[in-house]
Amino acid sequence: MGLRIINRRPGRGGALFWGALPFLAVLALYLTFSAMRLAENPNDKLLPALSTIAETVVRLAFTPDQRTGQVLLWVDTAASLARLAWGLAVSAALGLVIGIASGLVPYLRAGLSPFVAVVSLIPPMALLPILFISFGLDELSKVVLIVIGIAPFLIRDLAMRVEAIPPELVIKAQTLGASTWQIITRLVLPTMLPKLIDALRLSLGPAWLFLISAEAIAAQDGLGYRIFLVRRYLAMDVILPYVAWITLMAFLMDWGLRALNRRTSPWLTRGMA
Amino acid sequence: MTISLKRISAFCLGLAAAAAIACSPAGAVEKKSFKIAWSIYAGWMPWGYAADSGLMKKWADKYGINVEIVQINDYVESINQYTAGGFDGCVMTNMDALTIPAAGGVDSTALIVGDFSNGNDGVVLKTGKTVADIKGEKINLVQLSVSHYLLARALDSVGLTEKDVSIVNTSDADIVSVFTSSSDSKAVVTWNPQLAEVAAVKGATKVFDSSKVPGEIIDLLVVNTGTLKDNPALAKALTGVWYEMMEKMAAGDEAMLTHMAKASGTDLAGYKSQLVTTRMFYKPAEAMEFTTSPQLPKTMDLVRTFSFEHGLLGEGAKTKDAVGIAFPGGEILGDAKNVKLRFDAEAMKLAAEGKL
Amino acid sequence: MSTVRVRNLWKQYGDQVVLEHINLDIPSGEFCALVGPSGCGKTTFLRLLLAMEQPTRGTITIDGKPLPGEPRPDRGVVFQRYSVFPHLTVEENIVLGLEFARAPLTGRLYGAKKRRALEEVAETIERVGLSPSRTKYPGELSGGMQQRLSIAQALVRKPRILLMDEPFGALDPGTKAQMYVLVRELWRAERMTVFMVTHDLKEGFSLATRVLAFDKVRHDPQAPEAYGATVKFNIPLDDKAERAEIVSKLPALAATENEEGATRGRPWARLFDFAGTTRRKRRESHERTSV
Repeated sequence: MGLRIINRRPGRGGALFWGALPFLAVLALYLTFSAMRLAENPNDKLLPALSTIAETVVRLAFTPDQRTGQVLLWVDTAASLARLAWGLAVSAALGLVIGIASGLVPYLRAGLSPFVAVVSLIPPMALLPILFISFGLDELSKVVLIVIGIAPFLIRDLAMRVEAIPPELVIKAQTLGASTWQIITRLVLPTMLPKLIDALRLSLGPAWLFLISAEAIAAQDGLGYRIFLVRRYLAMDVILPYVAWITLMAFLMDWGLRALNRRTSPWLTRGMA
Repeated sequence: MTISLKRISAFCLGLAAAAAIACSPAGAVEKKSFKIAWSIYAGWMPWGYAADSGLMKKWADKYGINVEIVQINDYVESINQYTAGGFDGCVMTNMDALTIPAAGGVDSTALIVGDFSNGNDGVVLKTGKTVADIKGEKINLVQLSVSHYLLARALDSVGLTEKDVSIVNTSDADIVSVFTSSSDSKAVVTWNPQLAEVAAVKGATKVFDSSKVPGEIIDLLVVNTGTLKDNPALAKALTGVWYEMMEKMAAGDEAMLTHMAKASGTDLAGYKSQLVTTRMFYKPAEAMEFTTSPQLPKTMDLVRTFSFEHGLLGEGAKTKDAVGIAFPGGEILGDAKNVKLRFDAEAMKLAAEGKL
Repeated sequence: MSTVRVRNLWKQYGDQVVLEHINLDIPSGEFCALVGPSGCGKTTFLRLLLAMEQPTRGTITIDGKPLPGEPRPDRGVVFQRYSVFPHLTVEENIVLGLEFARAPLTGRLYGAKKRRALEEVAETIERVGLSPSRTKYPGELSGGMQQRLSIAQALVRKPRILLMDEPFGALDPGTKAQMYVLVRELWRAERMTVFMVTHDLKEGFSLATRVLAFDKVRHDPQAPEAYGATVKFNIPLDDKAERAEIVSKLPALAATENEEGATRGRPWARLFDFAGTTRRKRRESHERTSV
């Protein structure tokens, strides 16, 4: 006692406990509500028992669907991840190429940056009807939605990061005889790669959002498609594990990108730079 | 660290318990105030009029209760809200009544059979001319809705199955724009007013509609059975206001029709054309006759078979008999120990006899 | 050889005159220390020499040829900060200059070529004492090691002129002393013309063979921006034996030899009057800088 609360820190075990507490609280809350609702109505669909959820997960993840013969969870996951991967890859490529070009070449910056700034302010969801009409209902429009949603952010972020490269470094490279192209390949690209990966990590949330939205409106498979389909008959036993699964994947992708950063750019974490 | 783990756990448990008590579904006890949800559809527009015109208040006052009519923009959301306990009653189709509240264990009663779709739902092909031409096509529709059911019936009529086509789940809001402007949309199943718009596309043909399966897509007012049992006044007030409005509609009350047309986002002519394909039961006797006819259990058997085959009865349902459906004559379809959807003609009978 | 001649050089940013009326003749091999109060344009002058920026008026020539419009490998540079590439190891930083020259497309050498290049720079790495840290990243090095790395990196392309902008400003005194030894050694070995900006007079006088003191000679109290700094004192340190040994003679310099000789023996005395604005001093400085 006596220490100010801002100076009191949990120990290792304490941190673990405090970290787990909100999760446990949510779980406890769910179990309590679920048990109460089920006591009143054993068929309640809103807060199914964990056993019901487990049965559903077994059916979705390990049993072929009666009608299609496909294992739904994996079909949905593969479809969603493919769209997400395309969207992220195209956006990253655009971000890298346009971002670097506009950050490095004053003429391109003058030409591009107001346009990108305006485009980045368009709410992508508002464009969805137009996308469906211009790119059809298939994969393309979903990928394009993700790209429109996150590429402007990546481009602007990268352009700003390129502009923030200390001019000393660019001058130094020139005094070492580097051409513009060599400056890009040896200085700009390698130092921007970790920034791009960080920006991608920040874009994961919006990318998932746009993916799920596009799938909710028109699709034949995908995680968002399934959630919005079964919402029609309030199948929370499907929706809850799907949401948990999406969260887990988003978390793993974030973690994977961070690990990739450490691996490809060891200099970031070595020493004080 | 002075706060012990025990105290924290105790606190959390207490909090959870308190919250749970506060939020648990309302038990069936006698009460005075009721909430009914409705969403926009030709056959349901009178509910909006009932609220706006004061007719609902008139009838509720007559039976000493209070009824709030709430419009929900999203149809499925309104049913989900009802199922979760947020409303005492809600308008929905027979199929959704079976697959959402009933399959979700909420004992529900179809208090008023308002109409059935008689061409309000249809299958439209861009190039094909008959239902058989649909084979191998990609079809845009709201999956697991009555559109899906209608498609199954259409395919059945020419000996095809769902395996012969591929279905793209498409939001009803986007169906028109997709069909009119996207070349990869060749076939859609939808309802009015979208149906009229896609059918009007040049070269498109309406190859099948709900008038070919009359009486199978039924629009109901569904009320929680427990609430209804404990509060007979609610049934009387709702039935009373409904048939007063039906009388006005049948008599062609301009003011009422115009009000409903406006509320559904069209003009009087547009609304009247929607009514042409909606078989309204203007007289309670008609509705009663429909509800008590031996055709209804047959229709519901088709609907529950479709629902079960598409997994709509839920994880626990091992057969299509899982959810019991009761009919006015005492006939029961499926599990008699788990009757969750009841067709009741009593209130309509009272109305027909003029006893309200 | 790299004789640097500056003729009537002006640099302004809008209305603000930073440098005015600079005339210099620097013989090849000279080690120039650029001193003066902060904000007096020393660094701007260095940036002009580097061609990071262009003069508003006047010319700079190297061996009679005008300075190219952008930085080139003939002029190496060492900055106080951000002088090495953080994403490359010590070895990679140093070999980079060779890679730029030998791999125009990728800027990267592979296999045998890479090994040969690494062998070539091994001696340089050794000379700056970084052999044990060859595979470390700059972030893992101390400030002094980073500056040694930066110098070694700049020397790989064998520049004729080395420009240093307060290279030791952020180092502790002990490290500074080591760096002085290293820099003089390298200068003697490479015989480059060196321009070093420093705010430390003592450092300037002890390292350089010529001290260029920048300051304003004209002041307008109503408009402080109206006049820029110039080279107020141009002091060749002829008493240093090294100067005769390393620095070439400027044929054109002969006429002013006597005057320069006058500074011998009391170089410090001049600087005490740094901020002096007497008419006499001003006239004198003009004569001196307009060689």
